[in-house]
Amino acid sequence: MRPARILAALALAAAAFPAFAAGDAAAGKNKVFQCQGCHGISDWKTAFPEVYRVPKLGGQKAEYLVAAMNAYKKGERDFATMRAMVADLSDQDMADIAAYYAAQAVTTAEKKK
Amino acid sequence: MRIRLLACALLLAASPLAFAASGDASVGKKKSGPCAACHGNEGVSASPDFPNLAGQYADYLEVAMKHYKVGKRKNPIMAEQVKNLSNKDMMDLAAYFASQRALSVKY
Repeated sequence: MRPARILAALALAAAAFPAFAAGDAAAGKNKVFQCQGCHGISDWKTAFPEVYRVPKLGGQKAEYLVAAMNAYKKGERDFATMRAMVADLSDQDMADIAAYYAAQAVTTAEKKK
Repeated sequence: MRIRLLACALLLAASPLAFAASGDASVGKKKSGPCAACHGNEGVSASPDFPNLAGQYADYLEVAMKHYKVGKRKNPIMAEQVKNLSNKDMMDLAAYFASQRALSVKY
């Protein structure tokens, strides 16, 4: 009876957290060297086909970042550079990269500046 | 030769003008009611599925909204939200969210 209950509880717990791979910010730090070429430089701009500053990622929501990378991968977002960047990333890579950027929130002291 | 140089100089001088048109953050704030439902009152979203907008670059936000509008970004929620926005609306909203603070660039 008791093991069955524990099993049921575990199954429920697993169901509550579907496919989303847990990201590791420390592992992500070693995977962002390509990202940082654009996203690590303040006011860095795209050159083609439109010119605008590449988005800030520090402090962004991890789940959203994973969804955005997948959207580029699947062609649901139209930007060749990003599509190429994410093409070879695994789900774990994306989760780690997202965790790395999500952890870079602006501190309260910085907010007051 | 000299004319070509002059033309180059003029082009360089004019290029910042292309970005001169900008949104009005205070007007954008008044238009941002529907955005707050997902992106939060201060541009910081309560749900992990929706991005924070506070402090994001205005020109990026504008491009993102335009892409949702024309279908270059495919997202049924955002397509619905931006379909009736004018370019001025999008510029004002972008200016409003860009004026807040949350997102960062760190190396």
